[in-house]
Amino acid sequence: MIYACQLSDLPPGGSLRLTDLPGSPPVALFHTEDGELFAVDDTCTHADASLAEGFVEDCAVECPLHAAIFDLRTGEADGMIATHPVRTHTVVASEGQVYLQLSEAIPHLPAAARRAAAS
Amino acid sequence: MTMLDPAAPQTGSLVPTLPGHWYTDPAIFAAEQERIVEAGWVCVALAADLDAPGAYRTVQVGRESVVVVKGRDKAVRAFFNVCRHRGAQLCVEPAGQVRNKLQCPYHAWTYDLTGKLIAAPNLTEMPDVDRFANGLAAVAVREWIGYVWVCVAPEPPSFEDEVVGAVVTRLGDVESIDHYGVENLRLARRIGYEVQANWKLIVENFMECYHCATIHPELTEVLPEFADGYAAQYYVGHGAEFGSGVEGFTVDGSAGHARIPGVSADQDRRYFAITIRPGVFVNLVPDHVIVHRMTPLAPDRTLVECDWLFLPEVVESGADVDRSVELFHRVNSQDFAACERTQPAMSSRVYANGGNLVPSEHHIAEFHHWVQSRLA
Repeated sequence: MIYACQLSDLPPGGSLRLTDLPGSPPVALFHTEDGELFAVDDTCTHADASLAEGFVEDCAVECPLHAAIFDLRTGEADGMIATHPVRTHTVVASEGQVYLQLSEAIPHLPAAARRAAAS
Repeated sequence: MTMLDPAAPQTGSLVPTLPGHWYTDPAIFAAEQERIVEAGWVCVALAADLDAPGAYRTVQVGRESVVVVKGRDKAVRAFFNVCRHRGAQLCVEPAGQVRNKLQCPYHAWTYDLTGKLIAAPNLTEMPDVDRFANGLAAVAVREWIGYVWVCVAPEPPSFEDEVVGAVVTRLGDVESIDHYGVENLRLARRIGYEVQANWKLIVENFMECYHCATIHPELTEVLPEFADGYAAQYYVGHGAEFGSGVEGFTVDGSAGHARIPGVSADQDRRYFAITIRPGVFVNLVPDHVIVHRMTPLAPDRTLVECDWLFLPEVVESGADVDRSVELFHRVNSQDFAACERTQPAMSSRVYANGGNLVPSEHHIAEFHHWVQSRLA
């Protein structure tokens, strides 16, 4: 597990974009209005946009750029705009701190994000 | 431009109007847009027009296009309708509904409903781009009497002085309008009029009643004192009384609808009118409120939107408000026809030095001095 943030920095309804993670592209952390915590890859698999800036509803996040929708529990894409899933990561809150266990799967990144990661 | 001299001694019955070119000159019109409309508070929508998160209106404020939108947090915000990337207008429809964002149709710069820049193609590769500094440019917003007012000036003047103050000047106090609970009323009818006349002709017309006996036969039946030529706006706190046989503020004097509960005994059976410069007229009668909002579009073209507001139970019951609406719809049509008849003469050489105000119109000179002082 790696430390992600203070829980107080992530109020219900809030989201955070985490960068500079070891060996991983940016991750989006969500604290839903219902009090659940989720972590998925931040970059939409359709085009380069940050899901942490998206809109969360019914345990799904809608990408702000082209409205692709991903299930926060499974990472599955809506299949309409985005076809590849985002990875999901294990997220745990303990004593006011949020920790992440990053997925070891290979991320699906759009071309622009692959270029950025390579450079 | 020719200026009136407010200090000039008034010697006779007649006081000069503004010279004719004040109603036709594009340079004066542009200066009015800049220094009057864009410098003050403009009433742009009924708050109920923005009924759900994501509901928006695109409105013209002087030379600026403004988007007024209800946020997911139910707060109403307004922004310049200008994408911060390359300037394309975000919204072109006069009204609409978005789910959760305003997205430029050109390059897809995307803003949330608070105006923050939240996405754009390749934006994650530009971490130095400040999402707030490059968010939509905000416009000041106030809600009052159930309407959304905006000001595009960088430092808005006091809303209390400019808007509430106009009501106090006319009615004597703010409680008098509070009695009508305008913010609790519901829209029963809205009619838009595109008037081929300068906006000042419409304001001047609304401020005087010298024309009432000539062009408003239905109105003077309901408000007999209007036939004497003295408008309700001539006196502070004065409401024109309904005629003795008149039952309601309707086209034929027949009974209207349920009286607004807060209306006081001395407001009952009376009509009050308020001009909130530059572009709002509020008309108060016991069972409804009529609000005019003007948008100057060109020196000789003005959009007027008129709302008829009644108690919610009257609107919900499906009651027939036709006779109530018809009275002021006729007044509007008669007034705007008179303004359109006047506009062509504004460029006549006979009117180069303007016309004349009779004593029952002398208070209009104060409006002229106000316009000129704003442009000075």
